[in-house]
Amino acid sequence: MIGFLVFSLRRAGQGLLRNGLMTVAATATMALMLLLLSGFWVIRSGLAAGLEFVEQKVEVVADLRDDADPVDVTALRERIAALPEVAAVGYVSKDEALLRFREYLAAQGEDDLTQYLGDNPLRASLEVTLHDPRDFGPVIERLRGEPIVESAKDIGSLVERVLTVTEVLRTVGVVVLVVVAIIVLFIVMNTIRLAVVARAEEIDVMRLVGASDAFIRWPFVFEGAFIGLLGAALALGALALAADPLGSFMFDFFRLLPLQLGTLARDVAILVLATGFGLGVLGSWISVRTYLIK
Amino acid sequence: MRERLLRRRLDDPSTNSAVVVLRDVTKGYPGGNVALRDVDLEIPEGDFVFLVGPSGAGKSTIIKLLIRDELATRGEVYVDGHDLARLPRRMVPRIRRRIGIVFQDYKLLPRKSVFENVAFALEVTGTPRRRIRPAVERVIALVGLSAQAGQLPSTLSGGEQQRTAIARALVHDPRVIIADEPTGNLDPLISWEIIQLLLRINELGVTVLMATHDAEVVTALRKRVVALEEGRIVRDETGGAYHRQD
Repeated sequence: MIGFLVFSLRRAGQGLLRNGLMTVAATATMALMLLLLSGFWVIRSGLAAGLEFVEQKVEVVADLRDDADPVDVTALRERIAALPEVAAVGYVSKDEALLRFREYLAAQGEDDLTQYLGDNPLRASLEVTLHDPRDFGPVIERLRGEPIVESAKDIGSLVERVLTVTEVLRTVGVVVLVVVAIIVLFIVMNTIRLAVVARAEEIDVMRLVGASDAFIRWPFVFEGAFIGLLGAALALGALALAADPLGSFMFDFFRLLPLQLGTLARDVAILVLATGFGLGVLGSWISVRTYLIK
Repeated sequence: MRERLLRRRLDDPSTNSAVVVLRDVTKGYPGGNVALRDVDLEIPEGDFVFLVGPSGAGKSTIIKLLIRDELATRGEVYVDGHDLARLPRRMVPRIRRRIGIVFQDYKLLPRKSVFENVAFALEVTGTPRRRIRPAVERVIALVGLSAQAGQLPSTLSGGEQQRTAIARALVHDPRVIIADEPTGNLDPLISWEIIQLLLRINELGVTVLMATHDAEVVTALRKRVVALEEGRIVRDETGGAYHRQD
């Protein structure tokens, strides 16, 4: 067994060195394809996070009565925040509501009409963010039952429209990623197949002198594993180099989103290493099979 | 000779000493192309047999069946007493080691020296390293290439390359050497050297089956001649010539 392992590893090393051009071509292809795959993975993760961000923007807003006691308001906030569907509860005071309205008008390029108002007509409100926007129903019911709540708007059709858009975009993201993964699979498999076919003569000799399938197969599997891991290392190296210059831009972009960069980096590293190793081994295994005993 | 004839009549291939037995073998391919039809052939141990016939007559198909690259469509193929159709896949390499095979184009690995090419056959079959060197040196001496052992195939003459291939075929101590047009790429003088080498190996007790187009060699040696035409054996004659002599 040890003899077999030594033989296979030595043959794999010889194969990689003596077919240098093929090794370089296969490794470069592997690295580029893994970069492509990880790029699309990052884009899809960003998209998913962006969609989640949008979904969280869907809030249930409850306008409060002007005569509500601040103590009651605080108590209500706590009660609502304790509901299982609720992620967070924000409080917007009357003054803040007016301020926001003014900002809104300014952003629209309209005159500030509020200066003509004697009194602030806007109401204080609670902004309730949900874990899942679909769960708005019971929360609205609950709010409407509260004496200090003036009104809580039904957001059913808004939720439906937002979710339709985000679901479609999410599906598109997954489909694109799967298509890219399939393209990567075919290109890498074909490259490894070429590397194996280039040595058909050698395999033929091994077969004819009575080498068992294991002696023919495993050196190629080790070569494939090596090419896969080396390609993955190169791809990760390139990603690490690119991460710094892109960092500041990415930071601003991703800071907006509920995306954990540490988790993303870990996922990409696992994805690249596992895909490289897996495709290298699988590609060799399948390519050599053609030459084994039928 | 009588003894050999007697042995050939024995029916059970597993009890007689025939190294190669084809019994009623037909080999067809998808599309209706039939390469061999009802072939009966028995080669006893120590025999030297020429397999002759035009291209496409079925010589290569017989060789493919013997090394179990392909299986017969009908009939039985025995090598060294094993029914190849019933041989488990993992046993196939073992049978191949009982057969030494030599090709017209030598099939040497260009980046390995003579010694490494021969040793390769042992390495890839899991032979312990300490047993490889003496075995390789022995067969290289047998084919007369000890002085060239360190050279690459590209620096050798065609005859020397073929002798390297023969050494590689011998290194497993096979029971039979199958040579497919071994002199096809060589000039007549060198061809004779290769034939002489195969005869010497045959004298050492190794059965030889040689497919050839070389009429001069076949006719001069008066060995057993099996002639194929369109997939059938049309002549099986001990002491025969390349062409039928009526």
